[in-house]
Order: sequence, then structure tokens, then C-alpha cells
Amino acid sequence: MKSTWKLTITCGLFGTLLLAGPDPALTPATFKQLYQACQTDGSASWRSVPWEISLLDAQKKAATVRKPLFIWAMDGHPLGCT
Amino acid sequence: MSTFADPAILQVIKSRTVPVAIDQAYQRRQQDAEGVFYRKIAGKSPRNNFQGTTQGLFIAAPDGTFLGYTNSRVPKHVLKIINQSLEKYQPAQVAVLARGKSDLQYNPVPPEGGLVLRVQAKVLGGYEKTDNPHRQMEIDAISRDNLWLSRAEHEALVTGLFPPAVAERIARFHLIDNTRGEPPMWAKEQIRALDIKLHGGTVTGRAHVETDDHLRGYQPEFLGYIEAGNGVVTRFDLVAKGLFWGEGTYTRNAPKGKFPLAISFSLADGTDIADRVPPQASRGWINGYMKP
Repeated sequence: MKSTWKLTITCGLFGTLLLAGPDPALTPATFKQLYQACQTDGSASWRSVPWEISLLDAQKKAATVRKPLFIWAMDGHPLGCT
Repeated sequence: MSTFADPAILQVIKSRTVPVAIDQAYQRRQQDAEGVFYRKIAGKSPRNNFQGTTQGLFIAAPDGTFLGYTNSRVPKHVLKIINQSLEKYQPAQVAVLARGKSDLQYNPVPPEGGLVLRVQAKVLGGYEKTDNPHRQMEIDAISRDNLWLSRAEHEALVTGLFPPAVAERIARFHLIDNTRGEPPMWAKEQIRALDIKLHGGTVTGRAHVETDDHLRGYQPEFLGYIEAGNGVVTRFDLVAKGLFWGEGTYTRNAPKGKFPLAISFSLADGTDIADRVPPQASRGWINGYMKP
């Protein structure tokens, strides 16, 4: 576990240092770095919620399990983070 | 701390509710069972004017009885509203709503035989340092949208061609800074230059989009890799990167001047529920989105 953390921190620090320097041009050498900079953190806590994206599907589930609906309604889809 | 990073909120919505995430701009307009159900709930809340946004957090019984609402993002307040709503709730046998005929304008489905690509954007610099945690969330944000391709466009990519319609769809609807909210898209005439080529599996190119008043624009270059096998695209990794400037009504507080923005495109494999969300720009006019 310790070494995994060390690796994660090292990679994170390395990535941060790479992006902290002058704005890199888009080249085959920087492609992976720029691509990775745009990837979301799959472990974000809101992702642990079993969101439905259809209100009718959610109503069916809620009626079945007899629980209320919690509706996160935004301008732009919330799961799109817009 | 953001609303959904709060352990108490996560625990209560996961264990005691059925959580659903929606773009209410659909449901407040939909002329079908889903729209009627949403308006039944929201109509009892303070957000009951369906000519404008009704965004927020709602708690409702499965029969549509309104229990609570807040548009706050402050965890303490959100938790209070949830708990007050749960106290009002009386479990009862409720009929499952019939779906009936869906309003096709607001129920688009990905083109059969086409592709769904994840589109994610990140501002790489230009913000001033802040001690404000909410501002820091905006600064760190990575946006998410989907790009849809038709079957014919998918087939063209397999044969090594980058369809002009895909290039134009990318330029108009996906070369945007949606990291702080819902951004304006680009009009056709705001595409000043667009050249995306696919050669030997490598995508290269450049684009220039800009408003007439020059207050908002983006000039990215493209680099990417597309692979295909057995008649389907197996890899689509593309990055657009360049300088963006300006902001929209709902994307205020952009960095000053020109700032670096990177946008990645990759195949959606269906493992993320967000892969099923329609493209933001297709809202209410899927045909216009697919044929820009």
C-alpha cells in the first residue's frame, strides 16, 4: 500500500511539474500528457452515487423500493459537469 | 467541500433515496409522461416557472408528491432540506408510471451503428491563485460532454476518411470552454478556419473559431490517432489544444486574456453512465446537431 501511494504521489507530482512549466505545444511527445490532463478522476465521490438518468426509470425504481426520489436537476446535464 | 463530497449527504441519498440526475431543460419542456411527472414535482417548488430554469435539488415521493427543494450547494443546508423531506415521506404502494409515447424532440438516442465519443476539456493555465474553495473547484474542473457520429461517419473513419461533417460538428459544438458552466456554441459563420486530416491513422489539423466582435475565440491545433479493425473504430484518441479567450453568460470568470485550453476526444465504452447522456448541443434539435 505504501509503495502504491509513493508511486501515485510521484506520478502526480511529475504530471504537475510537467504542466506547471511553459504551456506545452501539441506534439507527438506531449500528446499523452495533454490527453491525460483532460481525463476526469474516476474516484470522485459523486461518482459513487448510483445515479439514474431517466426520471421515469427512477420513478419505477422508487415505487418498487418505496423510497423517495432525489432529483439533481441542472442546466446542462449534471453528469456532464457543465 | 462540494455538495456530493460530503459523506453525510452521500450516505443519506445512497441509502434512503433513489438518486436521479437530469438536465431539467429537457423535462420542463417535454410533452410526454416524463415531462408531466417532472412538472408535477417542480410545479410545487419555488422553481415553478417553466419558461426559465428550474435547476436545483428536489426530493419527491414516487407518486410525485413534492417533499423539498433547494438550490443551495452548501452541504449543511442541503442535508437539512433532505432530512426535513425524509421526515415528511410516508412510504406507500405507488403505481409505476406508464412511459407512453416519448417526445422525440427531447429523447434522442445515439445513432445506430454510429459512435459515441467522450469529450473532456481542461483549462491548463491563466487563472489567478485563490483561497476560495468554490473558485478552486472551477479552476480544477474538467468538463464532460459526448460527441455523436452517424453510422456513415463511422464507416468513413474505418476507411481512413475524416468526414467534413464531423469536423464541422466538432468545431461548432465541441471547441468550447464548458469548464465553468453551460457555454455558447459557435455559429457556422464563426468558423474562420477548419482543416482536419486523417492520414495513415494520424489526425492532424487546426481550427479557428471567433465571434464577430472578437471577444470570444479559440485557435486549437489537433493531433490524434484512429485505429480500426473488423469494420469498426477501435481507437479514437484526439486532442485539440490552443489558446481560448472570452466567456459566455453562464461561463463567467474565465482567465483574463488568452489562456490554454485542451480538449480530448475518446471512444465511450459504456462503462460510465454519462456515456448515455446526449450531446449538450443536441438539446431540442438533434437533427441540427447531426447536420450542422
